[in-house]
Amino acid sequence: MENRIEDRVKNVMSAVFGVPVDEFNDDASPHTVKGWDSLKHINLIVALEEDFNIQFDDEEISSLINYSIIVSTIKAY
Amino acid sequence: MKDLKYSEILARNQELGTSLPEDGGYEICVISNVIVNQIKEILEYYLRVEGISATVKIGDYDNVVQDSIKYKDSNLVIIFWELCNLVDGLQHKSEIMSDDEIEGLETKTISELNLVFENLKSTSLVLCNRFSPLCFRSGNIGSTKLEMLSGRLNEYLERRNDKNLRVIDIDKIMAITGVQNSIDLRYFYSSKSIYSVDYYKAYAKYILPYIMAINGKSKKALIFDCDNTLWKGVVGEDGMTGIDMSPTSNAGVIFSEVQKIALSLNQEGVILGVCSKNNLSDVEKVFYEHPDMLIRNEALTIKKINWKDKVSNLKEISQELNVGLDSIVYVDDSSFEVNLIRQQLPEIMVVQVPKKTHEYPEMINSLKGLFYTLSKTKEDYNKVQLYAEQTQRVKKINEYANIEDYLSTLSLIMTIYVDEITLASRLAQLCQKTNQFNLTTKRHSEGNILEFIEDDSVYVMAIKVSDNFGDSGITGLCIFNINRVSGEAEIDTLLMSCRVIGRNIEFALMDSVMNKIKLEGATIVKATYSMTLKNEQVKDFYERCSFNKVSSNEEKFEYLIEVDKYKPRNLDYIEVKHGK
Repeated sequence: MENRIEDRVKNVMSAVFGVPVDEFNDDASPHTVKGWDSLKHINLIVALEEDFNIQFDDEEISSLINYSIIVSTIKAY
Repeated sequence: MKDLKYSEILARNQELGTSLPEDGGYEICVISNVIVNQIKEILEYYLRVEGISATVKIGDYDNVVQDSIKYKDSNLVIIFWELCNLVDGLQHKSEIMSDDEIEGLETKTISELNLVFENLKSTSLVLCNRFSPLCFRSGNIGSTKLEMLSGRLNEYLERRNDKNLRVIDIDKIMAITGVQNSIDLRYFYSSKSIYSVDYYKAYAKYILPYIMAINGKSKKALIFDCDNTLWKGVVGEDGMTGIDMSPTSNAGVIFSEVQKIALSLNQEGVILGVCSKNNLSDVEKVFYEHPDMLIRNEALTIKKINWKDKVSNLKEISQELNVGLDSIVYVDDSSFEVNLIRQQLPEIMVVQVPKKTHEYPEMINSLKGLFYTLSKTKEDYNKVQLYAEQTQRVKKINEYANIEDYLSTLSLIMTIYVDEITLASRLAQLCQKTNQFNLTTKRHSEGNILEFIEDDSVYVMAIKVSDNFGDSGITGLCIFNINRVSGEAEIDTLLMSCRVIGRNIEFALMDSVMNKIKLEGATIVKATYSMTLKNEQVKDFYERCSFNKVSSNEEKFEYLIEVDKYKPRNLDYIEVKHGK
């Protein structure tokens, strides 16, 4: 089950940024992923929320700028 | 069909995007005073799965007037002009503004809208959303200044009569997704992005018919099975009195509703027909005599009632009506038939009567968009009659051995109109819808046609065809330009509606075109055939008119002919007249 969340996050990130799944490592962030700008960040949040059927808090949205943080935040829901 | 998730749409859209044509295909630009970036992939996806190679560009944030110049050459421009950002934070600021301030804002916005529509005058199609205060006012009683401003701006939009403009009633879209679900205020306050992905999905589906229509992909014929499709029961077993389509019976009312919807489509020019495994006499009796039957025999342009397989019958329907299989929607209750046709004739859209019959009328009603055409013209309303004449002609052709013998009995008359301004709407429609007999398939808009008519070096020659069986209306078009300095003429567009194909009218038209070109003093004519999936039948048309092929590749043949070398056919069975 744990792995599935990680895989699902990577799949969503891959779709949003147009980058193959295996290119994301645990440190993936706007610094390492081409195209992860503020507009794409909204797309990522919306896509994750729809995929996991959750809604992030306003404060969480701006902190979700790293793959590991995204995974741990989703696991906490 | 359940909507895909946003991430799935993004992934599928990337796959579909790998097979786009080099020129980017159908180019759409969305210009807006708020952030609408998420519509890009969603709209691209919904169009690409329908076979339209679309590329969507997003204009700069809050730069609508400048963007309307920058993107005027796109195939389609969509305008999202949101009240909330006419000035920053207007959604609530409006209520503490003075009446003068509101009026000033109205004037400023209207003058900007004016500029934008002027800039986009030559764009093929412009979709502009109606102003809507619903995002911020759905629960309030009484009317607010924002609502009044919105009403006045919408009145302005209604008054604009631009031929290329369609106003999108976004309140209808929000009624589908629900206001709460249509907006996402979190990103509004941080990034001026107001709508949710659910809203964009609904929006894309809502505007799809406009884009399908301008790309020549509207459906033309709605064909029904009979038993348990137009009525409840099986006429061959239950008999005239056993079948039910009564508006006052629980089982029948569903079918009565479906018949009403079908008839309303028929009145808008959609061809109705039936294709059913039955005894002809049983079914005809129902159409002629059953008291509850609303679709009468006269409304049906084509009937295939026999015991042959439906795949052959539907192929015959396509041939006899001279419409492509992909222009046909077929409705049947049997899973066996539905699956068979889907397998063997995947081009036909097949709709199965739902098990929950209360959903059936809405299912047929929801198809209406597929039949949408951009401009309703006189020909549309006459079209059903025209198609009926076409099937009579096909029957008659079979009685004659020699086609020329047959044609000479028809008393064919071709009437020519040159640069006739009142035909612009119909001619644009022909450009948008004609797929088969179309040499270059340029989708000129009404605005384009009007420009050609006004241009002294461009000639817009339209033809009307009539014969013993009736008047086919304006059904052919040739647009050519003449360079008086070089003495060269070039044919930009040559097309004929499939309704008049097979009567050698095309050769009479070519004679007239060459004649006109000669009269205007040109000595050389250039012409092009551009291949599409549907215009194979005219691949050798220019060769048959004795043009010389000067270059060719897989998609395009180019031709030249010296005007003096052209050999007119002078077909004696087609009388040529000149319209006013």
